[in-house]
Amino acid sequence: SAAPSSTSALHVPEVHTAPRLPQEGHRACILVDSREITSGLEVISSLRTVHGLQVEVCPLNGCDYIISNRMVVERKSQSEMLHNGSKTKFIEHIQRLQSMFQRICVIVEKDREKAGDTSRMFRRTKCYDSLLTSLVGAGIRILFSSGQEETADLLKELSLVEQRKNAGIHSAVVNPSKCEALQFYLSIPSVSYITALNMCHQFSSVKKMANSSPEEISACAQVTHQKAEEIYRYIHYTFDIQMLPSDLNQETVKSNACSV
Amino acid sequence: MERTPPGGAGPVHVPLGHIVARERWRGSQLAQEMQGKVKLMFEEGLALADFYLSSRSCILYITEADLVAGHGYRKRLVRVRNSGHLQGIVIVEKTQISEQYFPAVQKFTVLDLGMALLPVANQLEASCLIIQLVQEQTREPSRNPFLRKKRCALPELSLVQTVQQIPGVGKVKAPLLLQRFPTIQQLSNASVRELEEVVGHAVARQIHAFFTRPH
Repeated sequence: SAAPSSTSALHVPEVHTAPRLPQEGHRACILVDSREITSGLEVISSLRTVHGLQVEVCPLNGCDYIISNRMVVERKSQSEMLHNGSKTKFIEHIQRLQSMFQRICVIVEKDREKAGDTSRMFRRTKCYDSLLTSLVGAGIRILFSSGQEETADLLKELSLVEQRKNAGIHSAVVNPSKCEALQFYLSIPSVSYITALNMCHQFSSVKKMANSSPEEISACAQVTHQKAEEIYRYIHYTFDIQMLPSDLNQETVKSNACSV
Repeated sequence: MERTPPGGAGPVHVPLGHIVARERWRGSQLAQEMQGKVKLMFEEGLALADFYLSSRSCILYITEADLVAGHGYRKRLVRVRNSGHLQGIVIVEKTQISEQYFPAVQKFTVLDLGMALLPVANQLEASCLIIQLVQEQTREPSRNPFLRKKRCALPELSLVQTVQQIPGVGKVKAPLLLQRFPTIQQLSNASVRELEEVVGHAVARQIHAFFTRPH
């Protein structure tokens, strides 16, 4: 981690390394979860080479793609949606995304077919239909893709739409001196990676952030007023040690010896 | 069969659990599959959509033939989108023949118009899906897992975790600091001297630097 003396680093030049180019289709920025390197390599390389987007691989902790200040995209294979087994997990995951993002899109991607393999034929299930209708009922967007290349194309289109609505990501570069602040912001409940990043870029110090009004938080973190209120309440929430689960409370007392 | 006043463009009255269908679907495989499971009412002169799930929500059905024929279907979608009072769900027949046209329909429907689009392979699949949509419409919104409000975890636990992100603060010092400075805001405004009452000099300076230095 950075030494505390790195205060001298003016953050002006960094802002200019990722300019907001008005020309569409180029240098738009997408954040990709590092787990996607193993499962969606072709998506990432298509985004970079075919569509020329700025792709930043970050530890997004389960959010597959963040394509704007408010929108997350979940890439899901069709076979996983078809079976009841992973339904609960999927629902919980989407609920978690709902707590962090204003807009969610699910891309249902067809599984890669092996030559001659007919056993994985698509057979529509009731589980699949009910998931789709619940998503539609909750206003979550669904897109269907035939493979990783098409998924990349859809991501690009989504990011263009979001840019047109002025929700595009300005800069995804994290200055090493901001890493600690980023981790701090990320620990606030229901704050997404992009929101934490915006806070890093827009607030001159963590103290400044902690003393901001909901309006200032809303403007700097690029979040809705409701979300800004939520963050504001958290910053001003009065801690009560009695409310901590007792095991954790006692652990505090005796963990002196084993603390790192 | 009851009839709403003709004219087409006005709101269509749909009793709960029923589907109002366009007359041209009478006798189709789709209608036959649905009959018995939901109550279908056919109506003439429905101008906008193929099926009405409620007075606010409707289904536009794009057949394989519509897709192959060209962009004619687009006009219908735009009219529903512009109607103001209707949420349109588009069901499209995605078959081996029409597959190649699907990406264009999807971009137009979802990305340009912001409507929901669901592909089906045939009318049989469509009937199951529409029945599911009716059930979704009729049940209480709280039964939808994505509309249920999730309860928040204990803020105390999160606060301890947040304070632990400050360099030099682990799971022992975090609750101690929060007992003395019970909100993040108060902690951020603490002076080195005040912090020294809880932690040592070095850590007090680290905490103060973390909050005050410009990123």
